[in-house]
Amino acid sequence: MIARMVLNGRSRQVDVRPEHTLLETLRDTLGIFDVKEGCGEGVCGACTVLLDGRPVSSCLVLAPAVRGRAVTTLRGLERDGGLHPLQEAFVRHGAVQCGFCTPGMLLTALAFLEREPRPDREAIRAALEGNLCRCTGYTKIVDAVEAYARDRGHG
Amino acid sequence: MADVVAAPEALRVVGRAVPRHDARDKAVAATAYAADWALPGMLHAAVLRSPYPSARIVKLDTARAAAMPGVAVVLTARDVPRNTLATDVPGQTATVGPLRATLHVLAEDRVRHQGEPVALVAAETLELARAAVEAIDVAYERTPGVFTPEAALAPGAPQVHAAGNLLAQWRIARGDVAAALAGAAVVVEGEYTTQLVDAAYLEPESGVAWIDSDGVITIRVSTQVIEHFRDVAEVLRVPQNRVRVIGTYLGGGFGGKEDVTVEVYLGLLALKTGRPVKMVWTRQESLLARAKRHPYRMRYRTGATAAGEILGQQIELLGDAGAYAYLSALVLLYSTVTAAGPYRVPSVEVQARVAYTNNPPTSAMRGFGGMQTVFAYESQMDRVARALGMDAVEIRRINALRRGDRLPVGQVIETHVALPELCERVWAALEPPTPPRAPHVRVGLGLACNLQPYGRIVWLHDWSSAWVGFEMDGSLVVRCGVPDVGGGQASSLCQIAAEVLGVSLERVSVHIADSALTPLAGTTTASRQLYMSGNAVLKASRELREQLLRVAETMLGAEAATLAMTGDLVHAPDGRTLALPDLLRECARAGVPRGHLAVYNAPAGEPVDLATGSGKVFPDYTYGAHAAEVEVDTETGVVRVLRYAAAHDVGRAINPQSVEGQIQGGAVQGLGYGCMEEVLVEDGINLTTSFATYLIPTAADVPDVEPVIVESGEGLGPFNARGIGEPPIGPPAAAVANAIADATGARLTRLPITAERVARALGRLDGTN
Amino acid sequence: MQPFEYVAPETLPDALALLRAHGEEAKVLAGGQSLVPLLNYRLAKPHVVVDVNALPFGDIASDDGRLRLGALVRHHQLEESEVVRRRCPVLADAARCIGNVRVRTLGTVGGSLAHADPAAELPAVMTALDARLTVASARGDRHVDARDFFTGLLTTALAPDELLTAVDVPAVPAHGWAVEELSRRAGDFAVVAVVALLTVDGRGHVDDVRLAFAGVADRPVRARAAEDALRGHEPTSERLALAAAAARAALDPPSDAFVSAAYRGMVAGVLCRRALARAVTRALETR
Ligand SMILES: Cc1cc2nc3c(=O)[nH]c(=O)nc-3n(C[C@H](O)[C@H](O)[C@H](O)COP(=O)(O)OP(=O)(O)OC[C@H]3O[C@@H](n4cnc5c(N)ncnc54)[C@H](O)[C@@H]3O)c2cc1C
Ligand code: FES
Ligand code: FES
Repeated sequence: MIARMVLNGRSRQVDVRPEHTLLETLRDTLGIFDVKEGCGEGVCGACTVLLDGRPVSSCLVLAPAVRGRAVTTLRGLERDGGLHPLQEAFVRHGAVQCGFCTPGMLLTALAFLEREPRPDREAIRAALEGNLCRCTGYTKIVDAVEAYARDRGHG
Repeated sequence: MADVVAAPEALRVVGRAVPRHDARDKAVAATAYAADWALPGMLHAAVLRSPYPSARIVKLDTARAAAMPGVAVVLTARDVPRNTLATDVPGQTATVGPLRATLHVLAEDRVRHQGEPVALVAAETLELARAAVEAIDVAYERTPGVFTPEAALAPGAPQVHAAGNLLAQWRIARGDVAAALAGAAVVVEGEYTTQLVDAAYLEPESGVAWIDSDGVITIRVSTQVIEHFRDVAEVLRVPQNRVRVIGTYLGGGFGGKEDVTVEVYLGLLALKTGRPVKMVWTRQESLLARAKRHPYRMRYRTGATAAGEILGQQIELLGDAGAYAYLSALVLLYSTVTAAGPYRVPSVEVQARVAYTNNPPTSAMRGFGGMQTVFAYESQMDRVARALGMDAVEIRRINALRRGDRLPVGQVIETHVALPELCERVWAALEPPTPPRAPHVRVGLGLACNLQPYGRIVWLHDWSSAWVGFEMDGSLVVRCGVPDVGGGQASSLCQIAAEVLGVSLERVSVHIADSALTPLAGTTTASRQLYMSGNAVLKASRELREQLLRVAETMLGAEAATLAMTGDLVHAPDGRTLALPDLLRECARAGVPRGHLAVYNAPAGEPVDLATGSGKVFPDYTYGAHAAEVEVDTETGVVRVLRYAAAHDVGRAINPQSVEGQIQGGAVQGLGYGCMEEVLVEDGINLTTSFATYLIPTAADVPDVEPVIVESGEGLGPFNARGIGEPPIGPPAAAVANAIADATGARLTRLPITAERVARALGRLDGTN
Repeated sequence: MQPFEYVAPETLPDALALLRAHGEEAKVLAGGQSLVPLLNYRLAKPHVVVDVNALPFGDIASDDGRLRLGALVRHHQLEESEVVRRRCPVLADAARCIGNVRVRTLGTVGGSLAHADPAAELPAVMTALDARLTVASARGDRHVDARDFFTGLLTTALAPDELLTAVDVPAVPAHGWAVEELSRRAGDFAVVAVVALLTVDGRGHVDDVRLAFAGVADRPVRARAAEDALRGHEPTSERLALAAAAARAALDPPSDAFVSAAYRGMVAGVLCRRALARAVTRALETR
């Protein structure tokens, strides 16, 4: 079936299968590989996308259910080909190791900072608790989010 | 006596916390991981796996599955040209280890663990492939299994393999332990149990294979070991030069991608179908099928003088290898060598055994046998200190190894051991103590140290190679077959080359992990990659520098020894400079190569007889000390790690940011090991095959880890670096256990330290079952 | 996932007609946070998936004495809603304990109740609040009290052709409240959770008290014995401990591969006492 959705700001008609998840549609049908699969059951956060601005597990969303809605993947953050300042903060603070969790972490952090612009470290940790990272131990991810929130506050 | 440490050289790029080139790509999701790859006409593959831990296959009929529309091929053991895979010594080294460990690519008549592969399918879609797997007509007859190493070694136990259930044993006997313990003022006895755990990287095993236009079977795969192209060739019975493995940037490895995962299956299916094939394991499949970390039972008796000097230690280790050998014999060797910890212990006896069972197989995982023992020897150390009323730092200071001391195995420690400093630094980092926030809460501090070998066993004659060369515009290329598991392996090589050749880091490109196109570098395991390939790149860069400066010498009319390479220029002592493109043009004219290949050979040695304690096993060791402050809810047993500091002597931090990342990430993996992770297996059946049941820590479960980098300037790596990939995972479990003992007096000896176990140890469940 | 037909009716009658037509073969899709994993694992193999997200059940309404939550109210709405915070804050606290942020974006009140996971927070809260559920079918509406709704492990009083449309809960602005929970890892399902609500009268005695557990049985459990032990008494710490002991004594919790029955019971007692103490403090603050 054909579903119209807004994908990273552009309206698109997508041929979806009812029994496909949004994750499968993005990766296998559309070749959008910036969404990762880590568990397929809503636990790890590697498949995070924003649905109308809020984070969801794309592995737990049926593809036809997103018709008429806005889906944002990491690529949707691009700014004139440059890095989003939160992406820059991740690079600068060493918050990226293997990088497999990074797209989901970035999207979750951004959606969180929209609602809570000046969080403390504990609040950042709580907000990211649904995004697993096996490499960094989280400290540098929290550093990056904290620094971005602070710098943005001044800028 | 103070140990003299080398003064650092003045460096420009090495030692700086530069952001990694790959981090930027990953932050914009430009990196194409193994599963992020699609080719026209690509098939999708799935594996039929045994649901039983021990059974005979009495029927295996693939006709119906193979006849399904859209199914390209169904393979069973009969279809595999050589159905045997060697699993003992991965990598490029020819010298063979202590035993030939093998397994079947696909099960023949028997399955020995749940999840063992039985058949392969390739089909037009993943759904079809999975449906075909379900359509395979397979019948099993269950056979009795053994599910603990103790049971496996008991007389009359069902035999997992014909040769018996005892897979390997090592023994060390040094000094007279009985006498040492008899003469000790205090003897502490403990039994410790560690659990089965999973590497649990975020990226499941995955890859795509195709037959390239030149007929070479090409496999693009998430692996720590591109040298597995040889294993694929063996299985396929094709010449080794007809298989190429391209290693992708990994979404984590931690040892779990050291053994072969999908590559042999992909090679088989591509060969049989002539089409591109993709295989991506689900998380459930990954948790079910991948080799895991060995669970151990460890018995320790430790004797010390009243002053706290350790006199002797008697150690018994028993590990569970699961159903196949993999690297178990070597893992056990690591445990044996490190069993007494980073301490001088004059009399040591170690009896170590590892047995086959019908549990999930165990193999390499970060720490590689050097980890389980930390929980035991550091708990023992803490108990001795408590028995004597001694300070945690003091007892370690007294007993710490020093240069010139011997390990129980007889190996002489040749480099500086910074243990006392490491202890003092982490202890100070946690000052002042946090006051308990409620009456039912107690707070305590725990310390734990470790030593972890870096580099491979010396009789494996390890080597790595790298090519470094300039393009005509002065940009630099590094080619080296290292897989990058996310620890900044590739990026560190760029820093080293940039340092030596005076090129700005942005002007360096690196090509990694292609068995056909990059010089082989060996496995990204055993904390060896920075050490080995860093040295190879260092050597190639230095030799290239000499080569180029001989040309510059005539151009600038100044002796090569007086020339400097920095800022993309060659500098003469009188201030004149030579631009690299000019130099390179001259090289081209004069026929001087602009690139150079170098091989680095690690110090090699002969196999030692462990029992007689005859010598060197590993090139060198990395030392660490971690401190944890924990809060224990004495009513529920819930433990929270409030603060954590982790110090390692890394010799030299090539990139301090990467070093910190390794320390922080390793410490948190270690906390997961200590406090929550466990693959639960009941009679061979894995109960934790999802991320909802196999728990790894989230951001909200762990505190910030304060990394403390000590640079003694003593290590065998480039610029005197030591390996730091594995060491930080070792101490956390013991640090937490010791902190709980400090807070409550309760001694936890079984991992993971769950809230329920703490509650039991505190007597909160007395009178109930 | 096994292939199925996907339909997204836009009116309640259409939805109910579909459910009646397909009966057991149909599955209602709300937030999908429990259903999609079941589909992925092929533990559910419906022929038709009826996506009810277009139906107008996404609002939180309030009149004098109660709050009406549409079945499609998302967990995050409970967390963020001003009216919930003022009139029934225990709902916000409970919602905050549910899964991770992505689960709370999509997961719904109706889905959580209909799925009836014994460790889920909202069924326990609804049990404590004596919520009244509105259930629609082609046969008409009916009301079910929370205490009658949960009939066993992952089972409810809903017939296959019925749709949960709304939940009425009493507004409890004057109640002190607490949600205490222990999970094996941050954000995971509770091992044990306790919901406590109570008021303290002018004499300093406990007046209305409601106490319910999740994770201790095949369905949410109301702790009547403990409530009786408290009502009319001064909430001294001895009295709270006594009530918690009464609650614990009435439980016969299950064990599983991860947690023993004994530990669950012990923790239930401890968390119960803490929840009561917290609720008392809050009740005294609002008085
Ligand atoms: C990783 C993860 C962690 C979680 N952790 C928690 C937790 O800690 N606590 C907790 O409580 N929950 C947790 N959940 C479950 C979550 O709360 C779900 O949202 C909830 O249980 C189901 O709500 P849903 O709207 O997603 O329902 P769906 O998944 O859409 O449906 C669930 C079931 O209810 C039926 N159903 C749904 N709506 C209706 C209706 N209106 N009428 C009739 N039947 C209906 C469906 O047919 C289906 O059988 C977790 C989920 C995940 C994925
Ligand atoms: S893949 Fe969706 S949450 Fe893990
Ligand atoms: S960087 Fe590897 S999982 Fe987070």
